[in-house]
Amino acid sequence: MSAWSSGKGERRGQRPRVVITGMGTVNACSVGGTDAVAGALAQGRSAIAPVRAFAINGCRSRLAAEVEASALSALLNRDTDRRLSRVCQLTVAACRLAAADAKIAGGPHLGIVVGSELGDLRSSEEFVAAFLRRGPAALSPLIFPNTVMNTMAAAAAIALDARAASVTINQATIAGDLAVLRAAALVAGGYARVVLAGGVDELCAPVYRHLAELGALSPMQGGGTEGCRPYAPDHNGPVLGEGATFVVLEERESAGARGATIYAEVKRGVWGNIPTPPHTAQHFRVDIHSPVRRFLAALAPGVPSRSYGSGNGDPGVDDWEMALFDRDLPEASRRSGFMPPLSLAPLFGQHGGLGVLRVAAAALDAARGMGPVLVHGIARGGCRTALLVGSPG
Amino acid sequence: MTRIVVSGLGVVSPYGAGTKTFWEGIAAGACAIRPVTLIETEGFRCRIAAEVPAPVVDGLDASRRRSRADRLALAAAREAVADAHLTAEDRAIAALLVAAVGGGMLEGETWYWEEVRTGRRSPRIKALRSILPSSHAETVGYRLGLGGPKETIIMACASGAASIALGADLIREGVVPLAVVGGVEALTRICFMGFNALKLLDHEPCRPFDRDRRGMSIGEAAAFMVLEEAERCRARGGPIYGEFLGAGMTTDAHHVTAPHPEGEGMIRAMHLALDAAGVPASAIGYVNAHGTGTSQNDRVEALALSRVFGEGSVLVSSTKSMVGHTMAAAGTVEAIATLLALQHGLIPPTANLRQLDPAVPFDCVPGVARPAPVEMALSNSFGFGGQNVSLVFRKG
Repeated sequence: MSAWSSGKGERRGQRPRVVITGMGTVNACSVGGTDAVAGALAQGRSAIAPVRAFAINGCRSRLAAEVEASALSALLNRDTDRRLSRVCQLTVAACRLAAADAKIAGGPHLGIVVGSELGDLRSSEEFVAAFLRRGPAALSPLIFPNTVMNTMAAAAAIALDARAASVTINQATIAGDLAVLRAAALVAGGYARVVLAGGVDELCAPVYRHLAELGALSPMQGGGTEGCRPYAPDHNGPVLGEGATFVVLEERESAGARGATIYAEVKRGVWGNIPTPPHTAQHFRVDIHSPVRRFLAALAPGVPSRSYGSGNGDPGVDDWEMALFDRDLPEASRRSGFMPPLSLAPLFGQHGGLGVLRVAAAALDAARGMGPVLVHGIARGGCRTALLVGSPG
Repeated sequence: MTRIVVSGLGVVSPYGAGTKTFWEGIAAGACAIRPVTLIETEGFRCRIAAEVPAPVVDGLDASRRRSRADRLALAAAREAVADAHLTAEDRAIAALLVAAVGGGMLEGETWYWEEVRTGRRSPRIKALRSILPSSHAETVGYRLGLGGPKETIIMACASGAASIALGADLIREGVVPLAVVGGVEALTRICFMGFNALKLLDHEPCRPFDRDRRGMSIGEAAAFMVLEEAERCRARGGPIYGEFLGAGMTTDAHHVTAPHPEGEGMIRAMHLALDAAGVPASAIGYVNAHGTGTSQNDRVEALALSRVFGEGSVLVSSTKSMVGHTMAAAGTVEAIATLLALQHGLIPPTANLRQLDPAVPFDCVPGVARPAPVEMALSNSFGFGGQNVSLVFRKG
C-alpha cells in the first residue's frame, strides 16, 4: 500500500499520497522543530516531576510533566499573543514552529486539525467563577469564546492565516493520533493541500485536582507508588503532561515540487470503535468488524519494525491494548520483538499532544531508514486508531 | 464518484421528539422560543430560549443518570438508525461523527454551583465524567453498537454541518459504507451567560433578516442522520430522503467571534460546496441560511449570498427563527430542515420577520411556509473561530 488510504484498502481513484514535512513542539522536554523532537526522544529523559505551577495540598497525586513558563513566553509575540489563553498560546507557538520547520506559508490551501482531551477548561472555570463571585456584570465577553473547544484552532488559524478547513476533535488518550488521521483524510479528500495536525492540552489546578479526586490519575486506587509505568505489572494510572505538538502533512507531489524535506509518509491510517460503556476500558471487548483489526491482521511479515502504543500507565488502557495486539497481530509480527509497544507517556506525560509525538517519533524512525512503524492507540470508551508511517520511498 | 444518500433522520427539538414533530413545527412556522425554565436567568437582559420541553426529555428512552445532552443525542440517533432500518450488522460497520460543544456541562455546572455556594463537597462530582463533548459519541456508539470510525467534531456553530461533510468524506473514501452523523446541544449556563455577555441575544424571539433584528435566541436540540452509499441503500430497500451532493469547509482566519466583513470565507465555502456537488449556483432553489438574527451575521451572510447566487435569485429562510440557535446541533437540524423542504416541496418560513432589512436582497419567506418545487438546496452554517460549512443536497 503506497498511499494513505481507507480502512477497506479500497481506494477510489488516485488519491494523493500524504507526507510529513515538518514538526513543531512545545512540550515538557523540549521546544522547537524537528531537531527538538528528535533531541527529546534521543535523550529519553522524563520531564515528570512534582507539580510546581500550582499548590497540590491535600491531593493524592503530585506529579506532572510541565512546560516551563519561560520556554513558552519566549515564543510569544507580545502584540498578538498576549491576550490568548495559555492553551491557545501553546497551540499558536507550536503551529508557528511547525510551519517554520516545514517552510510553509498561510493561505486558502492551509488547514488545521487540533486534537484535545480537555480543551480550555481553565477559561470555563474562570468565566463561571467570576459570575458566582460578582454576578452578570462580571462576565467577560473576551473569555467566553475560549470556553468553546475550537478556540485553539481558531487562534492558530488567525496567527498563521490558515483558511482551509480547521477541525477540532475531542478525544481522551488518543486525541493527537485521531487529529493526524483526520488531517490525512482532509489532504487526501482535497479539503486542504497542507494541514497542521496536532494535539494540545494544558495543566491547570482545578482540572488536575478533580481528575485526582475522581481517581483518574496515578495512584488510581490510592495504592502503590505514584508514577507513569505503562504496561508494567505495577502500573497504577497515568501522569498528566501538557504542551502542543504539530506535524505538517501535505500532498507528496506538492511537497516534492517545492523542495520540502520529506521525513516520512503516512502510509495507511484507520480508526474504529469498540462499543464499550462510556469512560470504561474492558479488555474482553473486541471489535469484530473493526477496520483496525483487519488492517493489523493483514500486515506483512516483518511489518511493522517498531510499534508505539497509547499505554500511559492506566491499567485499563494498557491491558486492553496488549490484549488487542495479542489477538489482532499476525503471529510473526507478535514474535518480532516489539511487544509491549513503546510508550512515550513516561517522557512527556499524558496530554493531547502525546499521540502526535508518537507519530513524530515514527516519522523520525522512518527517516533514519527503519521499516514501516506502527502507531497504535486505544482509549477508554473504545475509540481505536492505527497508523503506519514509513519512508516515502 | 460514490453517490451518497440520506437514509434515516432523527430529531429531538424544542417542538418535541421525532422528525415528524419537527417538520410539523417548522412547516407551521411555529416559534418555540419561550421563557427559560432550565437555569436561573435573574439579572440577564435576555431570559428566553428554545428548550426541549421537560415532559419530552422525561419521556426519552434514555437513562436519567446520563447527562441531558447524552439523552437528547441518544434519542435522536436511535430514531435515525431505526428510521433507516439498520440491522445490527449495518451498525457494526457504521461510522459515528458527533458534533458537540457544550457536552454535559449543564450537570457539571450544577455540581460547581453547589460546591461554590455551599462551600461543601458535593457528591455530584461524578457529573464531571460526562462534561466533555466526547461523552456523547461514547454513549451513542456504545448503546447503538456502532463499530466504525468514531469522532467528536467541535467547530462551534458549524459543527453539525461539519459532521455531515466529514462523515460523507469517509464514505467517499471507501472507509465505511454508511455513517451516523449529527449534533447535540443542551442548554448550559455558560452558553447562555456568554452570549448575554457578548450582547448578542435578543430579549424577544429572534428576527433573522428583519430590519429591526436585535440578536439571536439560544436553543437546544439533537439531530442525526444516516448517510449511506446510494447503491447499498437502494439494494437493501432503505428509505431515501435526499442525496448529499457536496460540502465546502473554510476558515476566515479573521476574528474569533466576528465574521469576515466581506464574507470571504462564507463565499469560498459556498463555491467549494457547489464545485464539490458539480452544480452551478443557478441550480440551487433554496438556501437554508445560518440566519442567526444578529446584525452582523445576517448582513454579511446576505452579502455573501448575493455574491454567490445574485440578488433575489434564491429563496432564503432561517430555521433559527423558530427553534433558536441550537449551536453544535444547528448544522444538522438545518440540514434536516433542508432535506424535508425538498421532499415536501415546501419552504419553511422565517418566523417573526416583519420588515425585511433593505440590505438583504432576498425573499426570506416571512411568516408562512411557501410551496416551491425545488430540486436542489444549500444549507449554511457558520461559527465562532470563523468556521464556515456549506452543504448541498438534492431531492430524493
